[in-house]
This record gives sequence, C-alpha cells and structure tokens, in this order.
Amino acid sequence: MASSAEQPARVPATIPWYIWSSIVAVTSAMAGTHWDIAWHRSIGRDTFWTPAHIAIYLCGVISGVGCGYLILSTSLNGASLLKRVSVKIWGFRGPLGAFIAAWGGIAMITSAPFDDWWHRAYGLDVKIMSPPHVLLIAGMVAVEFGTLVLILGQMNRAAGKAKEKLDWLFLYVGAMIVVCICILVFEYTLRIYMHSGYFYRVVAIAIPGVLAGVAKASGRRWAATTVIGIYSVFLIGCLWILPLVSAQPKLGPVYQPVTHLIPPEFPLLLIVPAVALDWFWARSKSWKPWLVSAVSGLIFVTLFAAVQWPFATFLLSPLSRNWVFGSMYFDYNLPSTSHYVRNVFYGLEKTTPQFCAEMAMALAAAILTTRIGMGWGDWMRRIRR
Amino acid sequence: MRHLLLFFGICSSAFAHVGSPDVFYEGSAGPYHVLVTIRPPAVIPGVAEIEVRCNSNDVTQVRIVPLPLRGPGAKFAPTPDVAQRSKDDPEFYTGSLWMMGFGSWQVRVHVDGGKGQGETSIPVPALATRSTTMDKSLGVLLAGLCLFLMIGIVSIVGAGVREAQLEPGSTPGETNRRRSRIVMAVSLVAVAAVGYLGNLWWNSEANNYARRVYKPIQMTGTVESGRRLVLHLEDTGFFRFNKLDDLVPDHGHLMHLFVVSDPAMDRMWHLHPEQGEPGSFTLDLPAIPAGKYRLFADIVHASGIPETGATVMEIPAVEPGKPLSGDDSAAAGSPVSQADLNRTEAPLSGGYRMVWQRDAAALKAKRAYLFHFRVEDQNGRPAENVELYMGMPGHAEFVGNDFQVFAHVHPSGSAPMAAFGILQAASKPDSKPGAVNVAREVPSMGDMQGMQAMPAVAMTPEVSFPYGFPKPGNYRMFVQVKRAGKVETGIFDTRVE
Repeated sequence: MASSAEQPARVPATIPWYIWSSIVAVTSAMAGTHWDIAWHRSIGRDTFWTPAHIAIYLCGVISGVGCGYLILSTSLNGASLLKRVSVKIWGFRGPLGAFIAAWGGIAMITSAPFDDWWHRAYGLDVKIMSPPHVLLIAGMVAVEFGTLVLILGQMNRAAGKAKEKLDWLFLYVGAMIVVCICILVFEYTLRIYMHSGYFYRVVAIAIPGVLAGVAKASGRRWAATTVIGIYSVFLIGCLWILPLVSAQPKLGPVYQPVTHLIPPEFPLLLIVPAVALDWFWARSKSWKPWLVSAVSGLIFVTLFAAVQWPFATFLLSPLSRNWVFGSMYFDYNLPSTSHYVRNVFYGLEKTTPQFCAEMAMALAAAILTTRIGMGWGDWMRRIRR
Repeated sequence: MRHLLLFFGICSSAFAHVGSPDVFYEGSAGPYHVLVTIRPPAVIPGVAEIEVRCNSNDVTQVRIVPLPLRGPGAKFAPTPDVAQRSKDDPEFYTGSLWMMGFGSWQVRVHVDGGKGQGETSIPVPALATRSTTMDKSLGVLLAGLCLFLMIGIVSIVGAGVREAQLEPGSTPGETNRRRSRIVMAVSLVAVAAVGYLGNLWWNSEANNYARRVYKPIQMTGTVESGRRLVLHLEDTGFFRFNKLDDLVPDHGHLMHLFVVSDPAMDRMWHLHPEQGEPGSFTLDLPAIPAGKYRLFADIVHASGIPETGATVMEIPAVEPGKPLSGDDSAAAGSPVSQADLNRTEAPLSGGYRMVWQRDAAALKAKRAYLFHFRVEDQNGRPAENVELYMGMPGHAEFVGNDFQVFAHVHPSGSAPMAAFGILQAASKPDSKPGAVNVAREVPSMGDMQGMQAMPAVAMTPEVSFPYGFPKPGNYRMFVQVKRAGKVETGIFDTRVE
C-alpha cells in the first residue's frame, strides 16, 4: 500500500452535524415504524400522509439530503478536511458511511412511488413483505448501517472525550438496529409463542450477531448491555406513550374495543444475556474466536430462555394486564377466540422432540451468528473513513 | 334435430351487469330519502368512492361504513367515516371507504338530522377487475433509480474494501485495488442475482394477483329442435364466486335473460329460462325472427354476488313460438339507427304512452341520475291499473348501442334484490339479551319464491330508476312496467356526454 499520510487527521471534539442528522434520521425511522404498526393494529387503514409514514420517509429524506450534501461539499470544496478521510466513488468523495446512508435514503425515497404504484396495481397493503416494502426496509437498514459506519470512521480515529461521545452514539445506533431487527421478526416473537422452540431460534438468529459485532467494534466494557438497555427503554417508551394517543378502528370487523393506539409488547428480556455476555467477553479476550462464540451462544440461549420463559408465563397472567406491562392491549381485529386474546400459549411444536430440535437449532444459530458478528465487529474496528 | 348456430364470440361481461360496475341505490334511510352511488375499487383491497345525495335540507351529518354482507364481520362495524358535504351542493356528500377482501360487501349509510337518525345498507360486490401495467414514464424513472441503486451498492462495496480501512491521507495500493475489483465482481453477481430473484418474486406476485382478477362467468347458447334455447354457463374457476350450484332466485327467477336484436336493437325479450343441471338453462323460445341477437343473463350467487353472462348468437326463425306467459315479456320499437335522441314519449298498447320526465340538460357519464317515467292514458291522465311487475314497480334495461354496456336496474337501484334479501337476513336483530340493534332500511321483497302468486297490487303510474352511465355514447333504454295484467315496455334513446 502506498501511503501519503504525513499527519493524522484531526477529529473534532464536537459531534459534527451530519452525525446528528443521521441519528435523527435513524430515530425517526424506528419511531415511525412502531407508530405505523400501532396505527395498523388500532385504526387499520391509512394513507400515504399519516404522521407515521412521514416519520419513516423523513429518515430517507434526512439521510439522502444530509449525506448527499456532505458528499458534494467534500467533493467540491478543495479545502475540505474530510477529503483525507474519505473514499472515492464515481469521482465524488466523502466518508464511506455517508455514501451508504445516502444510498439508503435514495432507496427509501425510490420505494415511495413504487409502493404507490404497487397499491394501485395489486391492492392496498395486506402483507408486510412486498417488493416495494423490501426496498424501503433495505433503505432503512442501509441508513442505519451507514450511520454506524459514519460514526466509526470518526470514532476509530478519535481519542478521549470525542471517542467517548462517539462511542455512545455508536451504541445508540446499534440499539436502533436491534429495534429494527425486532420489528422485522415481531410476528414470530409474540408472547403466545414464547414457550415454543421456534421463538428462541428466531431470537438466536436475530440478536447475538448484532451484540457481538457492536461490542467488538465498541470495545466498551458494557457495550451489549448498553445496546439492549437503550432498546428496552425505547420499547418501553413506545409501550407507555403510544396508548396515550386516541384512535378508533376504521376497518371491520372490530372484535376488540379500541380507543387508543395499540403499542408493541413489553421488550424481550435480552438484558440478562447481554449483561452475562459483556461479563464473559471481558474475560475471554485471549480465547480462540470459535470457542468464544460457542460459549457465547450457550450463554445467550440458556440465560435468555431461563428468564424469558417464566416472564412469558407472567405476561399471560392477569398480573401483567396493566399499563406497565401492556398485556391487555389487543388488535381491533383479533377474535375473542384467538390464543392471543385468551392469553393462552400457542405451541409451534407439537412434540417434545420437535421442541428439542428447535432449541438445538437455536443454540447452533446463536453460536454461528455470534461468530459472524465477531468478524463483523473486527471489520468495523478497522474502519478509518 | 340439433341446430348449432352460434357464436361470434363472448361479449365482455362483468359482475353485476356488463361494463357498468358502479352500484346505484335510491331509497330511505329512516326518515330521509337518499340516492347513493358506490364506485367499487378496481383492485382489492382498494378504496371505494361513495356519493350520497340527501333530498332533505335538515340533514346534519352523513356517515358511511363498509362491512361484509354477512358473517361475523357484518356484526362488528368499525367507526363510520363522516362523509364530506359539498360546498356547492349542501345536499351532496362524498367519502372513500376501504374494501379489504374479495366478495360480498355492504356499505352502510347513517344519516343524522332534524328528523332524527336513519340508516340503510346497500350490497356491493368487491372483486378485482383489472391489474395495472406501469406507465412508461414511471417505469423509466423506477428502472433508472433501481439501476442507479444496484450499480451504486457495488461501487460502495468496492470503495469500502479499497479505502475504508486506510489511514487518513493514504492512497490505496495495488493489493487493495485488486481485492476491491474481485469483491465488486462478486457483488455485481450478487446484486444481479438479487435483481433476478426480485423480478421472479414480482412476477409471482403479479401472477397471483392475476388469478384473483375477476373472470366473468362464460355463457354459450344453442337452439335445439328449432325452438328450444339451451344456455350453458361455464365456471371459470374464479375462486368460489362463480360456481354454478349456488344460484339463488332474484325476484322469483334464477335467471333473467334479455335477448336484444343486433344491431337494430328494435326487438327485446325479457325471459326466464329454467335450470336443469347446475349451469344449464333451457327455454322454449317465443316467436322470434331469424337474426343475430345479443343475450344477457343475470344470475345471483348465494353469496349475494350478481353476474351477467353474455353472448352473441344467430337464432333461426321461430314461428310459431311458445306464447309469452308468466313474467316473460317482449318489446318492439324502431331500429336504433332511426333513434330520435330527443323523444321523451314512447307509445304503449291501447293508446297509452310512457313519458320520460327529464329536463333539457345533457346527460353526463359517471354521474348518478334518477330517471323518472310516468304512464299516461290517451288523454294524458295518469294511467290506472298499474301493477307490480315481479314484485317491483318497474324494471329498466340500459343498453349501450355498441352492446359494451348492459345494466338491469330496479327502482331501488342496480343491486340485485336477492342480495338485499341476504342482507336483510344477516341484519336480523340479535336475540341476545341486552343487545343493541338499530332498525335498518333494506328493500324487502318478502318471499321471492312465492312472488308469482302475489295478487295484483294497484300502483302509482310513476316509476323512477337510479343509474349513471359508465361512459359517453348512445344508449337505448327499455323501461318495463305492468298495467292491467300486461307488461308494457317504453323504449327511449339518449346520448351521454
């Protein structure tokens, strides 16, 4: 590698505007998505111009415009300090994270006319997964990942207070990625499935890799705990705030009386395995990666099942039917005969061997995703631009 | 001897009439008189457009809500939408409603005003009738953006591998560049694969949707033994909606067949074939000149969804035919090529006449009208001895001169009475203690099967039909009433702008 580096790039002590704007974009998308889901669970129908949709698309606009401006100003301003810490794409220069987030913003904005046409051609939304929605989700994930990389480019070159501030923002974005992933799998992680092996397999596929990657890249002592702590506070905030907004079903049949927005369920008790993993990772720095991931997977699945299983029993009991735990909120269109409304577990496995097989797959998935996450974390630690 | 004298082809047909998907209703919502137009969505789930005209100046609010015609969903209504009052016309209200599923729906209209509350329900079939192709400009825009995104992500991945881990100010070496090129090549393949799989997914979704687009029931006809008309309806396999063993009588008959001479439109028969095997209907034809005829056959499924089978066929001369009896009727007029578009009087038998009470304003397409007709004697006095015809003051058939539009309408509107019967049965008061029920206005036909035996009931000589033409063009209207035991048909022509 030929190097022309004469001096290290200075990292400002204050957080630059483009990181703040990206943080706002990411937060807007996640709040908007939870708002939109609550809207569909309580009101049922919508238009393009609901506040929730505006919050979601604001993410694309903010990141597309903000990062686009950052790229243009870096490219066109010969004196820009960012030039030395930028990558070059199609003649333009800018931080790698800015390119990724801008790509995500453009993808999100592109999905809007595509989605509108999709509705006119094939009817209004009846399912989450459609090509325009996948493009929207891909854009949203790209904005989150781009923001992560944008922060890393600075954080990995910073020291002292600046690094500490950036590290906090990095963990916050990591938490938003956990929130995003939990939204994508929420149909499989409802409380009535929490005594099924499939539920644990889904969580084991979705979560450990993110925790391992973010913790590895952060290097902070309680990184995973912080990420899950922010995720939990965010979800509890949604759980407590959304029901304050009045709403009435606009689609029939209306089986459940609804007078306000229906919030998400109480957050998963990921905080327990997160604390244990942070504790373990601090003591296994010299271990071989595969051994670390094997023990990590075992810790995650064992501790998560140990706390979530009895907590699920609690969530289906009358004791949790209050505003704190929110188990009394039901979608307007759920029949009273449904497992969810009756607070009865729905077993996704019919036999014990099937359950054991699912749990074994959950363990294997946790080990594998942890190892992948560790590799991802190592890559992120080396990001400089 | 079997004559097989057919078929130039099957006309385009549609659920509930041909080429005329909008539903029109005139009737009461409690103490209020309303004219309701429902324009169902062309895609399902989709948004139906609703128009309500209340001929009362003390109405304070009109609310509308969609519900399944029957089943559990019909009993658990969501919060109604408040229809918007027109600023220019305070008796006119509009609104939009989501129809989420295929099948039989109803739109419930609540009216509040100085005379208290009123409510009525109108059956609406919700079936996807088309799938849309993307217009060129949007297609080019989206294709360009997608290409940009695909090439962009490959370039970003390449830049990430090449430069992201370099120290500030460093330039990438050959190793990084080579590695970047390899990763970009792999990414390009991956992105192309994603694009290819995405296209497969899109095609799969489009094909799934195409299978859900309404396929009208197919009808073919033959004339056997010189006078016996045999009609075969064919199930197109369109979900469960157009199976053939679930037909229900609509004002006393499983099928209402309209035979119209083509192209003159100077002869029209309203007949009622009998069903043998499911989907097979037969009828001994009345006297009929040889020629080409358009056949439109209205049927109603047990779900409440109406369909119109349509075909065109050559019919040999039938002479003598079976004398008309029961509810069967025939009409004759001048060829449509000699139509007087301004004529508002049509001669009836015995010197009587039918008067179309219309104003001079031109009729506009896509606008709901009430078509008023009055039967008069030779001296211009209101006719006496007007009776119900199949349980109703009248029947009207609106036929486009190009035969692309056909609608069989009653004074209550274009929804079949059988669907109103299903609605009425589904909205019977809940017998559970404490249940709250609202009496609803639903046009009642009583026992449809027993209608033939109904005694003649003296009626007012005036009849009106709510209808709106779907597109501009020339139309012929056949307006049928019954007087002194005889079915009379007034024939009118009009131009629609």
